[in-house]
Amino acid sequence: MTGTQLMDSYLLANAESVVARARAGDEDALEELYRAFEAPVYNLARRICRTTEDAEDVLQETFFEVCRSIGRYREEGSLWGWVRTIAASKALMRLRRNKYRDTDELQEEAVGQRREDTALRMDLEAALERLSETSRAVVWLHDVEGYTHDEIAGMMGKTPSFSKSQLARAHQRLRRWLGEEVEG
Amino acid sequence: MTHLTVEALLSLREAGLEPGDASARAHLDGCPRCRAELERLHQRVARLKALPALRPSRDRWPQVSARYRVERRNRRQRTAGLIGLAAAASIALGVSLGPRGNPATNPGEQEIQAAMARSQALENALSRYQPDQRVLDGRTAGIAQELEDRIATVDRELEMADLLAQQARDEQVLKLWRERVGLLDALVDVHVTRASNVGL
Repeated sequence: MTGTQLMDSYLLANAESVVARARAGDEDALEELYRAFEAPVYNLARRICRTTEDAEDVLQETFFEVCRSIGRYREEGSLWGWVRTIAASKALMRLRRNKYRDTDELQEEAVGQRREDTALRMDLEAALERLSETSRAVVWLHDVEGYTHDEIAGMMGKTPSFSKSQLARAHQRLRRWLGEEVEG
Repeated sequence: MTHLTVEALLSLREAGLEPGDASARAHLDGCPRCRAELERLHQRVARLKALPALRPSRDRWPQVSARYRVERRNRRQRTAGLIGLAAAASIALGVSLGPRGNPATNPGEQEIQAAMARSQALENALSRYQPDQRVLDGRTAGIAQELEDRIATVDRELEMADLLAQQARDEQVLKLWRERVGLLDALVDVHVTRASNVGL
């Protein structure tokens, strides 16, 4: 059993019967799906999006899509894996739509420089928040959710090399901001 | 001594062997500093995974549920409306052909009328079957959903075809009604034939 399939049984013990009822349009079953996956979907969205409002919108859009498309879910993979991919796509779509995306690299540089100047070490949560949205999305999808660079590239409409370089850049910054750099 | 870059260290964590990984591993064996760096990388990733789960402050299910209900209702209304539309269009076409006294003078219009009638018959059959109240397996439901989406696209194109000039409109409308009949045939097949095969 894969990790995501284990997640299925952890999040929703009777997933098969709930999915069957949801496919038939049973709203109670659809709500059961929402309740089971609400927290991990929101967490993924919040780690990628800049604001709680964006993350909540992604949560809503994800489950609207789940309701509409549950009939298309093939039971070959895990349910959580399927829901998670919808959530990741919606979150990345939200990033593309947001106007401030283009300016946050500059903001990140400025903040990073200011932090270094004052020799202030950030905690991991704050450092993650300071990354550009694209870098943060790649870090989260790759390092935490376990997507490959090929998969991330597919979702972002970029190349695997882009994903790899974003990840490397993000780790360089995290290392610096967390005060983990080794002298010499 | 040149130490391993972050890219090289990250590459060592991947499942496959990238070009240069073998020499990077050889370097790692003899370099305590790079081993320490790799260890810090592993620890950083472990700490990322261990960050507390964030939870939404508001329940969004009521909004999801309301929006989904509206969409389902619209879909049902659209299907019902299309049955009426097909019927009305057939009548209108019949009326427009009527005064000419000889419908056979315009074979294109006759074909459109025949396609509309066939489309209407299929929709009636489907409506009597009440597919919304039946359970489908995932694959079949997926195919049905795709066919319904394609029918909706054809319907939108039919509306747009009204804006075309007469001759182009007739050709386009005939093409679209034929396509619609084909899709409905397939949809009936998916619902009814499959159901009879499994004894529903």
